[in-house]
Amino acid sequence: MTQAATGEKVVVRADDIRKNFGAVEVLKGISLQAKNHDVISILGASGSGKSTFLRCLNFLETPSSGTVAVHGEEVAVKNGRPQDQRQVERVRRHLGMVFQQFNLWTHRTALENVMEGPVQVKGLSRAEAREKAEALLARVGLAERMAMYPSQLSGGQQQRVAIARALAMEPDAILFDEPTSALDPELVGEVLKVMKSLAEEGRTMIVVTHEMGFARDVSTEVVFFHQGRIAEKGSPDECFNRPQSEPFQRFIAKIR
Amino acid sequence: MHPIDVLQSYGPQFLNGALTTVALTGLSAILAAVIAPLFALVRVGGNRWAQWPLRLYISFMRGTPLLAQLFLVYYGAGQFRPTLEAWGLWPFFRDPFNCALLVFAVNSTAYQTEILRGGIQGVPPGEVEAARAVGMTRVQTLRRVVFPHAYRIAWPALGNEIILLMKASAIASVVTVFDIMGRTRQVFAKTFDFSAYLWAALLYLALTAIFIALWRLAEARLSRHIGARERGAGTEAVTKGAGA
Repeated sequence: MTQAATGEKVVVRADDIRKNFGAVEVLKGISLQAKNHDVISILGASGSGKSTFLRCLNFLETPSSGTVAVHGEEVAVKNGRPQDQRQVERVRRHLGMVFQQFNLWTHRTALENVMEGPVQVKGLSRAEAREKAEALLARVGLAERMAMYPSQLSGGQQQRVAIARALAMEPDAILFDEPTSALDPELVGEVLKVMKSLAEEGRTMIVVTHEMGFARDVSTEVVFFHQGRIAEKGSPDECFNRPQSEPFQRFIAKIR
Repeated sequence: MHPIDVLQSYGPQFLNGALTTVALTGLSAILAAVIAPLFALVRVGGNRWAQWPLRLYISFMRGTPLLAQLFLVYYGAGQFRPTLEAWGLWPFFRDPFNCALLVFAVNSTAYQTEILRGGIQGVPPGEVEAARAVGMTRVQTLRRVVFPHAYRIAWPALGNEIILLMKASAIASVVTVFDIMGRTRQVFAKTFDFSAYLWAALLYLALTAIFIALWRLAEARLSRHIGARERGAGTEAVTKGAGA
């Protein structure tokens, strides 16, 4: 916790993460750290391992080797499994997650989705959780849709509920796994707008994305994955204007 | 004898039989419903050594006639009377109602386990992942996400199983349980009037009809989030812009 004095507190640190599925090595040694207020965009072609890496951070996947530490607390792994399930649950409470397919609980209303974590996991009273959930839903522009079920909401609205659900846990960092990839083009903007406002208020975010605009204009750091390794890393300005690695040059050339 | 006269003379017997049928079916269905979810979890995620005895049990229960299972327990209990007496279990097995209850519960557990297994496997994996990501424990995930979905999916098949069980419970009359069928056979023995069986059939029909109605009400409640789109369409408020 020595960094705390400088204000550069490391929220999440991953060291030499490797992951294989059977004989296929998807991640070949990834190290990355997110400090307070960092907004890190992870780019890369599909199959480059970026989603797997993100899922290793909150142990939806267990790294085959390497370490993940949240707030300096290293999660102990033995024989390909976290040693202490409680520790994993504690770490997850600090890391919100927003999924590509939203993954809202379809049998609960928007409001209930946002209240669920605080009530069940943090032990807040229903009244308290409700008040907070209402404020969060209003914040993402869904004040009038709180009583609706996910099936009654558009994709963009569902994803905004999912963001409110993540915020309700008051996480220290939020992981976004391609949050706009499943959306119709006209709905992407409303989700990006919310994400941008979160970045502006200083939230720590790690975002796997294909949105070059977001990576360039909102993030503080860009990381490019290529075949399970980090091929390029730097500020958006450095990466987009003076790309160093050949794979990343090809990647941005294709996108333009 | 006029059919109405049969009903008038023997109404209390039929009613008494109906109560026995409801008690026998209801209790065994409830016992099975308590155990089946635990077995279903083992079927979905248990290790190999927990799996195979369970599979053996389920295939035995599903692969042999209920009547044979009932005879096995009822007459088997008579055979092993000294042992059962030594263990203090004889008072339980002496009563044919208890034997039938035990057999039906154990049989229905097998079916309900398999039905629920299908339900659990139909739970959207993304929603389970979201529960884990928010920091829920395994038990919380089961209670708040997995089982609500699994029961919604399994509900019609579970209802079907209970109806089948109710009708199959008529075989308890063979081992002298006075359920609807048992009473009816008594009435027929006295009157030689086939309309006794007609009333029995109507009684079973009425019971299943009531059951189906209640089951559907519960189903509508469990599935209220599914038809929500159609019902809510006309009343939606105008969306406010994002980030407001």
